[in-house]
Amino acid sequence: MTLIVASFESETGLIEALPRLRGLGAVETYTPKALQGDDRTSILPLVVLIAALLGAGAGFGMQVYANTVGYPVDIGGRPEFSWPAFVPIAFEIGILSAMLAGFFGYLIVNRLPHLYDPVDEAMLMRGATCDRWCVSIRTDSPDRTHDLLRDLAAEHVEELSE
Amino acid sequence: MNAIEPVTLPGSNNPDMTDHVSAIALRSKAFLWWWIAVAPAALLTSILIGSILYLFYAGVGIWGIDWPVAWGFAIISYVWWIAIASGGTFISALFFLTRSEWRNSINRIAESMTLFGAACAGIYPILHLGRPWFFYWLFPYPNSMGLWPQFRSPLLWDFFAILTYVTASVLFWYLGLLPDLATLRDRAPTRTKQVVYGAMALGFRGTSGQWRHYHALYGVLAAIMAPLVCSVHSIVGLDFAGAATVGWHSTMFPPFFIFGAFLSGFATVLLLIMPLRRLLRLQRYITTRHVEVLGRLLLTSSLFVGYAYIMDAFTTYYGGEKAEITMFQEKLFGYYAGIYWATILFNVLLPQLLWFRTIRLNQLVVGLISVGVIVGMWCERYTIVVVSLHRPRLPSSYGIFHATIWDWLTLTGTAGFFVFGILMIVRLVPVISMFEMREILAPRRP
Repeated sequence: MTLIVASFESETGLIEALPRLRGLGAVETYTPKALQGDDRTSILPLVVLIAALLGAGAGFGMQVYANTVGYPVDIGGRPEFSWPAFVPIAFEIGILSAMLAGFFGYLIVNRLPHLYDPVDEAMLMRGATCDRWCVSIRTDSPDRTHDLLRDLAAEHVEELSE
Repeated sequence: MNAIEPVTLPGSNNPDMTDHVSAIALRSKAFLWWWIAVAPAALLTSILIGSILYLFYAGVGIWGIDWPVAWGFAIISYVWWIAIASGGTFISALFFLTRSEWRNSINRIAESMTLFGAACAGIYPILHLGRPWFFYWLFPYPNSMGLWPQFRSPLLWDFFAILTYVTASVLFWYLGLLPDLATLRDRAPTRTKQVVYGAMALGFRGTSGQWRHYHALYGVLAAIMAPLVCSVHSIVGLDFAGAATVGWHSTMFPPFFIFGAFLSGFATVLLLIMPLRRLLRLQRYITTRHVEVLGRLLLTSSLFVGYAYIMDAFTTYYGGEKAEITMFQEKLFGYYAGIYWATILFNVLLPQLLWFRTIRLNQLVVGLISVGVIVGMWCERYTIVVVSLHRPRLPSSYGIFHATIWDWLTLTGTAGFFVFGILMIVRLVPVISMFEMREILAPRRP
C-alpha cells in the first residue's frame, strides 16, 4: 500500500477530482472548511435528542422518587407529586445530558482523540487547515494515481510509504 | 467617516486572515501592552484568592451582610456576572441560528467572555453559603442520612442551571475551538507548541466526516444553548421571585433578568472588541459594522430594560400593597435613591444617545455608554437585592446595609480575574474563529 497526498488550490478542483480518484483506492479529504455538496446526514442530532429526552426523563423521575417515595414531606397538605416544580431541574439535566452526549458523541463517531496518523508525515497537510484542499489516497497502483493527479492539475503531490 | 464598513473590509481573504490571527496566538513574546494589562489583572486575581482564603478562615461575617440584608455583594455580583456571561451565548448561539455573518468575527471573544463571566459568577454562591465546605449537599447524591435536596426550591434549580450552563459553555467553546487549534498545530513554530496545540486539537484534521458531523452537531448545540441561556437567567430571576419578599415576588422577574442579560452582555462585548481590534490590528475583520450592530442591540435591550423598570413601578402602585409601595418610595427617595437613579441614568437614559448614527460610530462614546451600562446593571442588582431587603414588611426589622472592604476586594478581584482570563485567551488561542471566517472570506489572495 502506498499513501499519496495531493493538494489542490481550489475547492472546485478537489470536488471535480474526487469521483475519479475514488476508483484507485481509499480516499479521504482534508479541507480548511466543509466541502460543498456533502449531503450525507449525521447521526449526532439524533443522539443529542435521545440523550436530552433520557436525561430530562431521568431527572424528572429522580425528583418524583425523592418527593413521593424517598423522602416525602407533608407541607400543609400540599401534593407530594407537585410536578410543575420539577420541570426546571428536569430541563437542565436534559440539556446537560444533550451537551455531554453531543460532545463525546462527536469524539466517538470520529474516533478522536486521534493524535497521530500516517498522513501527518506529509508536509502538504500543514496547508489543509489553512487554505489548501488536500486529499489522501491509499492505493496499490501509485503510478496510475500520479498520472491521474497530474491530469487533474493537482498543485502538489507527496508520496509516503507505509 | 459616516459610512458603515462591511463585515470584513474589501480585499480581506482567508490566507491573510489565518496568518494574522494565528500569528497572534503563536507569537514567541507577548505584546508590551499585554504585560501592562496583565500585571494589574494578576494582582487583582491574587487579591481575589486572598480574600477568598480569609473568607474561608473568618466566615461571611467579614462582609457587610446582616439582618435584614442577608444577601449582599455576593448575590449582586453573582447575578451581574451571570448576566454578562449570558450575553456571550446570545451572540455565539442565537445569532448563529439567525445566520448573522457579523457574528463570526466576534464569536470567539463573546464565548470567552461567557466562560470567564460564568466562572466569576460560579464562585459567588459557594462563597455565600456560609459553610462552603458543605456545597456538595446540593448534589442529589445517595447519603447515609437518607436526605434529598429540596427540589421545589428555585435556589436548587439555580444550582442545576449554573452547573449545566458552565459545563455547556465550556464544551461549546472547546468544540468551536477544535478546528482552530488544528490550524495552530499545523503552523506551530516550535515542537512544544506543536505538541500542546496538537494534543488540544485531539486530532482534528478537517476530514470529510469530521466536518460533516461537526456542522450537524454545532447547529443542534447552538439551538440548545439559546434556550439554555434563557432558562439560566430566568431561574436566576426566580431565585428572587420565588421568595415572598417585598419587591421580589413578581412574575416579571424572569424576563426582566433576561433583558438585563442582553444589555450587560452586549455592553461587555463592545468593551472587549473595541480595544482588541485596535491592539491586535483586527480592524479588517472586526469593523465599525460590528460596533454599529452591537450599538443598535445595546439600544434595543436598553429599551427592553426601560420597559421593565416602568412595569416595576406600575405593578407596585397598581397592586396597591402597602409594604410594596413603602419599599418602592424608599427606592425612589430613600437612603439608596442615588443608586436607583444611577440605574435609570446608565441603563435607560444614556443609551438613548445610540439612536444617532454618529454616536454609534464614535467608539469613544460607545465605550463610555457601555461602561455606564455595566455600572448601571450592577446598580440595578444592588437596588433589587439591598433596597428590597432593607424594608421588609415589619418596620421593626428595617435596617441598613454597608459594604465592607472585603466585599469590595472580592468584587474587584473577580473583575481582575475576568480580565486576566480574557488576556490569557488572547495570548493562547485565536481571538477570531478562523474556520468560521472562512465561510465569509475570499478563499485566496487577490
